[in-house]
Amino acid sequence: MKKALITGVTGQDGAYLAELLLEKGYEVHGIKRRTSLFNTDRIDHLYQGPHEQGRRFILHHGDMTDSSSLIHILQKVMPDEVYNLAAQSHVAVSFEEPEYTANSDALGALRILEAIRTIGLAEKTRYYQASTSELYGKVREVPQTEKTPFYPRSPYAAAKLYAYWITVNYREAYGMYACNGILFNHESPLRGETFVTRKITRALSRIALGLKERLYLGNLDAKRDWGHARDYVEMQWLMLQQDAPEDFVIATGKQYSVRDFVNSAAAELGITMKWRGTGVEERGIVDHVKKLDDKQYDATLHVQPGDVIVEVDPHYFRPTEVETLLGDPAKAREELGWTPKISFEELVSEMVQHDMEETRRDSMCQDEGFRVNTYNE
Amino acid sequence: MNKTALILGVSGQDGAYLARLLLEKGYRVVGASRDASMSSFGNLVKLGIRDKVETESVSSTDFRSVLQVLKKAEPDEVYNLAGQSSVGLSFDQPMETYESISVGTLNLLEAIRMLEMKVRFYNAGSSECFGNTDGQRATESTPFRPRSPYAVAKAAAFWQVANYREAYGIFACSGLLFNHESPLRPPRFVTQKIVREACDIKRGKQSVMNLGDISVKRDWGWAPEYVEAMWLMLQQEKADDYIIATGHTYSLEDMVDTVFSSLDMNWRDYVVLNPAFLRPTDIKSSLADPGKAERELGWKAQHSMKEVAAMMVKKYIEETAN
Repeated sequence: MKKALITGVTGQDGAYLAELLLEKGYEVHGIKRRTSLFNTDRIDHLYQGPHEQGRRFILHHGDMTDSSSLIHILQKVMPDEVYNLAAQSHVAVSFEEPEYTANSDALGALRILEAIRTIGLAEKTRYYQASTSELYGKVREVPQTEKTPFYPRSPYAAAKLYAYWITVNYREAYGMYACNGILFNHESPLRGETFVTRKITRALSRIALGLKERLYLGNLDAKRDWGHARDYVEMQWLMLQQDAPEDFVIATGKQYSVRDFVNSAAAELGITMKWRGTGVEERGIVDHVKKLDDKQYDATLHVQPGDVIVEVDPHYFRPTEVETLLGDPAKAREELGWTPKISFEELVSEMVQHDMEETRRDSMCQDEGFRVNTYNE
Repeated sequence: MNKTALILGVSGQDGAYLARLLLEKGYRVVGASRDASMSSFGNLVKLGIRDKVETESVSSTDFRSVLQVLKKAEPDEVYNLAGQSSVGLSFDQPMETYESISVGTLNLLEAIRMLEMKVRFYNAGSSECFGNTDGQRATESTPFRPRSPYAVAKAAAFWQVANYREAYGIFACSGLLFNHESPLRPPRFVTQKIVREACDIKRGKQSVMNLGDISVKRDWGWAPEYVEAMWLMLQQEKADDYIIATGHTYSLEDMVDTVFSSLDMNWRDYVVLNPAFLRPTDIKSSLADPGKAERELGWKAQHSMKEVAAMMVKKYIEETAN
């Protein structure tokens, strides 16, 4: 039985990847940080207690900023494959915590690579590094391929640049099977609530059911290539099953703006949006509300034509914005036969349905007089 | 009013030459080293400027330390030349290399941002960031392809500098300096090793010289004139990044031949190629186009590799005459 070790197993990609590898018969080990609050809700359905027979999903406490914890876990697990998905992954937060971002994202990758060498696993263990389209930043060509030069525009991207090249260097210097997946934005119902897609689907659901009045966003014109995380983790696994390690762009090849995403999410709820004003004055207004017979929402929508439900808050602007990202997944398609299966519309729909269900639960609890957690950024 | 410059890494080769240049220009120079009370500042002594440079203990990986020295020195210009500087050593100390180079740069940028200082910031970038350029001359827009933990750390630092310039309007520049040598180079760098060991062979103190790959090609310049380019970058209207190089590339074999020939010896009689000196990954050929520095800064290298080698040989023979 193959063994895989996933750092960042409590995150969106970690959860989907753990599921995929368990289906493929792997013994899956995950590293989670010690926190005061529970942080395993994305993988709780996979949990196997320490007393279960033949368990194949095992969590370890560790931290990307602690070399000794990583060496210890690697030594214990002796994995065939390591997926380094752990990171401070929020671009905006990286402007506020640049050093922590560098420590966990850049040095974190180095610590794992070094740990693999230290234990003598350099020839056995295959290493996947979660790289990012943010490396392209102020893009130098459209669309972006594996050959497009980088132009990072945030402390997050600069840290990830280090992780990218140190992975390449360990491949070239020590012959390790180490590769980068340059993933464009990938979303799902498991996406963190502060990332813009999830923030939109969650806020619109809450607005629709009257738990919230307005959604505040930053740059509505930012364009991204959005795929589904479930499709993307398959590619992460595929990259480690080849004869030789190589880096791949993982993307859909299609691009939408943040405003487009709002329109699609609203449409899923039967709401047609109209946009008035420009720049920081731009507002998203309900133009039309359609009764949705074929959907499961079974609830009265608390919005009416004329309601202003989206506004721009410059607080969410970044000191340096990445305006446009569009990936060219040709290499992944041609060499590994990979194409994303889930469309943009299906992605938005799945996210809205998931958030509507959560919101309905909260709404019902609130109606019955129970306290509901209203997480804010 | 005299300007004040803060130089981090003042005890190194570039730090010492830069300190001398700035003193000549009338600057007050504050030089930082990790432990100023323990450091002998040998290079400053050699240049005869030890007593003219105010020295402070600073570890650039420690934010408090960086903040304190900025507040105390109140510099107009900050030159960050600190950090682990050996490519070879970076394979053995990758973590320390990243921290001293990349975290150090980040701390300086963050402290400047936090103090809202109107300083101009120079960061020591490196030609190592380019890696192999497929026979093309590297320009400021050539993509990076780093080939060592040192180069990867320098690449990350380069982009941090660019990001803080773009995000916060800090006057911050990176100089992408190609190899630059001088008598102040420590002997673990290959040029100084060749100079010293060749001289020692000439005197009969040594019989052979062990080298790794002598087919590698580099652009070697004269460090004392490279520090002028650093200063020039901070005197421009706009902060920008520049390649500093001679524009002429030679093989290490050419350099070895130059040094041995200047001592009337044939290198083939003494050099042993030893695979133990090979790096896990090395740059085959390093080629530069320093055109932008000439056009915009009016800077052009005056000394060729052959002159640099000759000056280093001359100095070492002088220093060790007795």
